[in-house]
Amino acid sequence: MSSFAQRRVTSIGVAFAAGGLLVLVNTLYGMSLRDAAFLNGWLLFGGMVFLTLFNARKKLPFLPLMSSALWLQIHVYLGFICVALFLLHTSFRLPNGLFETLLWIATVMLFVTGILGLILSRRLPPRLRAGGERIIFERIPGFRAQLANEAEALSFNSLDDTGNTAVANFYWTILAPYLRKPRNFLGHLFGSRKHFRRLENQFRELKRYEDAKGREVLTRLAEISTAKDNLDHQYALQLTLKLWLFFHLPVAYSVLVMSLVHTFLAYAFGSAAP
Amino acid sequence: MPPKKIVAIPRPQRWDRPFDTEMTERDVDHVIDLPVFKKMDPKGFPKNLPLRGILRNDARIRSFEHGEVVARAGDFGGSFFLILTGRVRALREEPEGRANGRRPSSKDKRSLLGAFSQLWSNAKVPERRDLAAYPAVSGPWLMAAEDEAPRLKVENAAEAIADPRTSLLTEGGMFGEAAALTRRPYSRTYFAEGRAVILELRWQGLRDIRRCDETFREHVDALYRSRDLRAHLQESPLFHHLDDRVLDHIARNTLFETHGEFEWAHDFKRLLSESPEEVVKAEPVISDYGDYLDGLILIRSGFGRITEQEPAGLRTAGFLTRNETFGLQEIMDHWRRDAPLNHRFGLRAVGYVDLLRVPTVLVERFVLPSLSEQALADIAREDPSHHIAALGDRREATVDPALVDFLVNTRTMNGTSVMAINTDRCTACDDCVRACASAHDNNPRFVRHGPEHENIQIANACLHCVDAVCLIGCPTGAIHRDPGQGLVVIDDTTCIGCATCANSCPYNNIRMVEIRDDRGALVVDQASGNPIVKATKCDLCINQPGGPACQRACPHDALVRLDLRDRDSLLRWASQ
Repeated sequence: MSSFAQRRVTSIGVAFAAGGLLVLVNTLYGMSLRDAAFLNGWLLFGGMVFLTLFNARKKLPFLPLMSSALWLQIHVYLGFICVALFLLHTSFRLPNGLFETLLWIATVMLFVTGILGLILSRRLPPRLRAGGERIIFERIPGFRAQLANEAEALSFNSLDDTGNTAVANFYWTILAPYLRKPRNFLGHLFGSRKHFRRLENQFRELKRYEDAKGREVLTRLAEISTAKDNLDHQYALQLTLKLWLFFHLPVAYSVLVMSLVHTFLAYAFGSAAP
Repeated sequence: MPPKKIVAIPRPQRWDRPFDTEMTERDVDHVIDLPVFKKMDPKGFPKNLPLRGILRNDARIRSFEHGEVVARAGDFGGSFFLILTGRVRALREEPEGRANGRRPSSKDKRSLLGAFSQLWSNAKVPERRDLAAYPAVSGPWLMAAEDEAPRLKVENAAEAIADPRTSLLTEGGMFGEAAALTRRPYSRTYFAEGRAVILELRWQGLRDIRRCDETFREHVDALYRSRDLRAHLQESPLFHHLDDRVLDHIARNTLFETHGEFEWAHDFKRLLSESPEEVVKAEPVISDYGDYLDGLILIRSGFGRITEQEPAGLRTAGFLTRNETFGLQEIMDHWRRDAPLNHRFGLRAVGYVDLLRVPTVLVERFVLPSLSEQALADIAREDPSHHIAALGDRREATVDPALVDFLVNTRTMNGTSVMAINTDRCTACDDCVRACASAHDNNPRFVRHGPEHENIQIANACLHCVDAVCLIGCPTGAIHRDPGQGLVVIDDTTCIGCATCANSCPYNNIRMVEIRDDRGALVVDQASGNPIVKATKCDLCINQPGGPACQRACPHDALVRLDLRDRDSLLRWASQ
């Protein structure tokens, strides 16, 4: 078993044990005729605050505050424990008031985006190299422009080289829109190759009617298209890997603020003291 | 008033910061009258690099009291020493525990509060510099860090002097040549016996005198070969236990060989565009498959590629580095079972290799019989050729040969702190880049890109090489090894922006940057108006309390700094 797999087994075991212990404490607290919602509510709020500290840790990379990798491990498993606490706190029921409903939705969104982020960050990186070379995200527009410029020059020259407009027409109608901007975002995200097979077919169709010179130009254009397809692949996957955090983080801070309000309301209008 | 967009300063020069500001012309007169320098022809030195200039600026005279340590085994000092008066003892071992008394790092570590303050004190402009720190602006100043370091004293100096294993150096004696020439730490500790006055020549001075005077070069090289040869034999676990008489006998009959080019970086850059087969072919052959095994090969410095003969060409089966042997398994088999005495693998020089060839007959007569069965088994297990021969049975316990091939072809096995990224785990979040920038005044010191093999990427970050060729040509010694940790670091105040190191780095991991003052004005040369540039690279966060920020910032366990000499750690990481 690899060390990561071993770590996963240990962490899941610890998380289950901690979760079980919390359920037990919560049950015993309830049996003592006290309102367990105050206990699990505070535990949930404390857990949320600690989860948010991970982002603060990222801002202080120069301090010896444990490795980010360890923080992420704690973040993930504490996140799952928080899900359990949330279910206990809400008594597995949907809320009824407007504010509680909003808080409930935001918290569920927080958990869902967190789990989605975890899945994306484990699934997408191996696929990044499946399409070819990994490219730094910020360099993609530059490479895309380079490819588009080369293709445009080839298509212009093809008018003289081939003596007909077929390649140039193909470039302006099909290739230019494809090469100038990112394309097929969803196709790349979900691993579909349909868009590229269609393009390959269009190349194949055109090649049948071209002479040797025209075929040579088309071969190079096909190579450029393949390179552009990898750029789109990199763009789609890397953008997704960056974007999910833009949903997770605002929701996290919203939940934190709403939880503070919720705590205040619970103490102000709660039916029972802890 | 709007801030100035340009600020002009004098262009930094090589000797803006002499080794010792108290070195006078009279001192130079005295030194130049010594026999070793008197014989030199001043005309052999270029006009911009006269012998007097070298001695005035790259040398200093230091006096030591009885028992005081001049140079310590394990330290990366890089100076060459000449005894002016008195005597010096060379010890095989360090005077005390390794860490105790070690010279402090030249870069002071930040306190926790100091590190925290980077949150608000980091520059808003790229490559900001404090111009007052430059000797060209504020005048020369002493290399304080080294002078202020407390001097270490050998305890029980009398006992050490009486030890027959120490050797004595007298007036006119020289030492430290191996550390200065090979970019390695001192292999011995030297201390003053009685009062001693010593001329210390920093390595760039030694390099230039050696380059300009043939007699001096031959003398220093002969010292290096003869003295270091025996010391190196003693370092090897195979020879360590032998008595002095036997060791002397072996040393007298051992051949010292050099293969490849000392300054191999430029050839390597050209080779990078060739196919892996061409890269292997271009490497000088040390021993070929099937050759008669006339001696055990012991690598002294540099790297060797072990090759295996396949029907369609050569396959890389491993690599050897300092203190590792080649051919031991075959000699053992011959000694035990009278097996044929031929190499089962080939060995080629990767860049530059210094090696010792110990005659087979001496290994069989003195070395193998003196080892226990357990020691023989252990050594055999460590022998790379044996390791590879057993590959079929123990494949899961070995580094993937294709990965070894990649590391040797890219010569990244030279690295002691290689930034390796598992691209199957890296989400390209760039937390590592941001962390690096935060720890370096908002300037990232690496690029998250580099050669890849399957899911392993070697990023463009300084490797802190074993054989750091970037150090060779630096005219001022601005790029140097940190005395405490041995990391390759750049002293920004003495860097003159000549780009020699950046051009020499085989991995393109040193970048020249245009600098700005604290108001964001571009700093230019007063005379030409051209921007002043400085060399920059990863310093492994040497002054940060938490160590390398990049590695600790990676949330996905994708990035690690690896010492590729330690194949076990590579194996552990690659099989995670």
